[in-house]
Amino acid sequence: MPREAEPSLNERAFVVQALQEGLRIDGRALDQFRELDLKFGDQYGVADLTLGKTRIFAKVSAEVTTPYTDRPFDGIFTITTELSPMASPSFEVNRPTETEIMLSRLLEKTVRRSNALDTESLCLVSGQKCWSIRVDLHVLSHDGNLIDASCLAVVAALRHFRKPDTSIEGETLTIYTPAEREPVPLSWLHSPLCVTFSFFGEEADIVVMDANLLEEQLRVTSFTISFNKHGEICQGAKLGGTTVEAMTLIKCANDALDKVKELTTWLDLKLVEDSKRRDKGGLMAELSAENER
Amino acid sequence: MATQGPVIVLPGDQIDPSLIPSRPKKALKLGPGLRHIPPNELVPTVAGQLTTDHKKNSIWVEYNGGRYIPAVGDLVIGTVQRSAAEYFYVTLTDYTSNALLPQLAFEMATKKTRPNLNPGALVYARVCLANRHMDPELECVSPATGKADGLGPLNGGMLYDVSLGLARRLLMRKSLEDGKVAVLEELGAAGLAFETAVGRNGKVWVNSESVKTVLIVGRAIQETDEKNLSVDQQKKLVRKLIKEVS
Amino acid sequence: MTVNTEPQALISHLPKADGSATFSYAGYTVVGAVNGPIEVQRRDELPEEAAVDVIVRPAAGVGGTRERHLESLIQSTLRQIILVNNFPRTLIQVILQIIVAPENEYVNAKITQASSNLPILPALLQTAILSLLSSTLPLTATLTSTALAIVPDQGGSNIVLNPTAREVEQSQSFHVFAFTSHNELILAESEGSFTMKEWDDVYARAYSQCCPPALSSDNDDAMIDDQRSAGSDLRHFTRSTMEQKIVSDLYWK
Repeated sequence: MPREAEPSLNERAFVVQALQEGLRIDGRALDQFRELDLKFGDQYGVADLTLGKTRIFAKVSAEVTTPYTDRPFDGIFTITTELSPMASPSFEVNRPTETEIMLSRLLEKTVRRSNALDTESLCLVSGQKCWSIRVDLHVLSHDGNLIDASCLAVVAALRHFRKPDTSIEGETLTIYTPAEREPVPLSWLHSPLCVTFSFFGEEADIVVMDANLLEEQLRVTSFTISFNKHGEICQGAKLGGTTVEAMTLIKCANDALDKVKELTTWLDLKLVEDSKRRDKGGLMAELSAENER
Repeated sequence: MATQGPVIVLPGDQIDPSLIPSRPKKALKLGPGLRHIPPNELVPTVAGQLTTDHKKNSIWVEYNGGRYIPAVGDLVIGTVQRSAAEYFYVTLTDYTSNALLPQLAFEMATKKTRPNLNPGALVYARVCLANRHMDPELECVSPATGKADGLGPLNGGMLYDVSLGLARRLLMRKSLEDGKVAVLEELGAAGLAFETAVGRNGKVWVNSESVKTVLIVGRAIQETDEKNLSVDQQKKLVRKLIKEVS
Repeated sequence: MTVNTEPQALISHLPKADGSATFSYAGYTVVGAVNGPIEVQRRDELPEEAAVDVIVRPAAGVGGTRERHLESLIQSTLRQIILVNNFPRTLIQVILQIIVAPENEYVNAKITQASSNLPILPALLQTAILSLLSSTLPLTATLTSTALAIVPDQGGSNIVLNPTAREVEQSQSFHVFAFTSHNELILAESEGSFTMKEWDDVYARAYSQCCPPALSSDNDDAMIDDQRSAGSDLRHFTRSTMEQKIVSDLYWK
């Protein structure tokens, strides 16, 4: 039952009027993201991302299973995004809303279909055993822009994750527990990130990045584009709503690319900080030398 | 005994009988957060600070947060959802059932001249009926005098969400002394021209000729709320915001 | 000793929920959110009281029978301490998201899934109670919960408070208790094989852990029971966490 409260006419009129003067309610610039913070858990593959008041928690887990019969050389990679009433009481468990379906589809296209994770590397014994990597996304607080935040959280968690080490001798596959051998990172090819643009005004000529919940409810249409830092487009989606000039979209794409490069650098920095925190006294260097042998 | 630190209670705690005010001729008035178990037991039901007023012989638990529960006499800001035959349906808080606002409960309203409120309009109203078994009812006119006294539709401006604690402080008669809220006065003193309406349901409406003024007032109120600013910090914040704009 | 960390909690940190809390203790971290009283679906409506709905979400996966079992235990416990008669025909939603659960480093992930449902229950209950206190919904009392295991030890057996994953695996029986702040038993769940005498011992230990005699305010150097120093006093922790929050909220008084 949709119980989402709609903003009042006063808020609607005021937000648009402010935007026409180039002002946002929280004082940000039109192309400014809210404050980003990323914390990794003590366990590998746990990422807690905060974007303003939106908070996303992503967890990666791995288990050994049989591959699909039509793809015996590939592992399995799934992303689950089930929104719970914690994000907002208008979400119900087991009853996907449009927001949830859109989020799930965009993450699917951006991260899975673009082959960011090399699924062939997940194969253990072709046709019989492979790794199934699963990312669970939990939205702890919803204040707009779930898409950009979720994509960032998923990519961060996957890059942070370590799967158990394995070895094959003839027919026997051995999977080492974390106590026996240090787990190994996933085979990560590129980091795709999403940027969503929200449009306002009758001509959809006012463009805003990182809309909060109120701005999302009042926008006339939105456009999400996914890039990696090399400038390769993974997907672009503008689903309905007011028509937008093509030149505006191209400009958005350029802005998105700049933003993605900025976010990728920031993410790299956070991952390095985390590995330094774990690597007390340079032990990591010794261990990785051992694994390489 | 009298000059202890603040007394914090959790639900189910026992209250020290010496803290309960007792005047021989006046009945003890119980405020929010307390439950009376006959014959003479007082039990807190929420976590908060036990507060007493010896003059009025009342005792209550002061707390912040949570969801607004309508109480008779509260001034609230609601959003009209739709209008039916005799009533407007007004939302006071998200995800709760609507309150009823009779179409005739406005100043100078008769059967022929009903107020015209579209879905999405904001109204400033008083709660006249609230109990747990029925949907709350509102009125935009004082039943005794028939005058609006500032109640009624709110046009233009912007709506901001605040915590229930700050809404209560803003609505106090002496909001600077008792509630320690200086922002609005400071902003006015700084030369900004604006009007506000505060709803006990955690909503503040701000209106002004200039969009920038509304934004400054809104941001000042929300920052005071989120960061728990003291009076001095509020004054500093106002000075900072004014400087940013000019 | 089995307790390796002090309990930690964050209160009211989720901006969109009516009440929220993150609680970490003994290797578990759970984020809780409470919304209510809000509108309820017609089919769940109760004429005289609020419906209490508990949702438990695991860190990985979507949740199955284990989560439903935990939800029903928590729901029947919370229903007794929330003043549901104040809000008839409404809904009080309690959502508990498991963030971290201790991993057993000696066993691979798949195998430990088949183990017991109960070890995370005390952490879930503590998170729920802190979230309810944060939401200022009226309650009759607060509650404190603890887990114990009876672990074989050189021929005899030991009662272990807050057992680790490895100890749970090796235990003969596992017990969870919850007491209200009025020292009443509100939840008792046990698994495994044990005698009545063993249950009585475990109950007594849990009682002394969850219902410590109140420290008189004059005597700050109250002698701490040897046994009790093993686990943290969660009832006191709940109180001091809420006191901190209230004092900071009411800074203006």
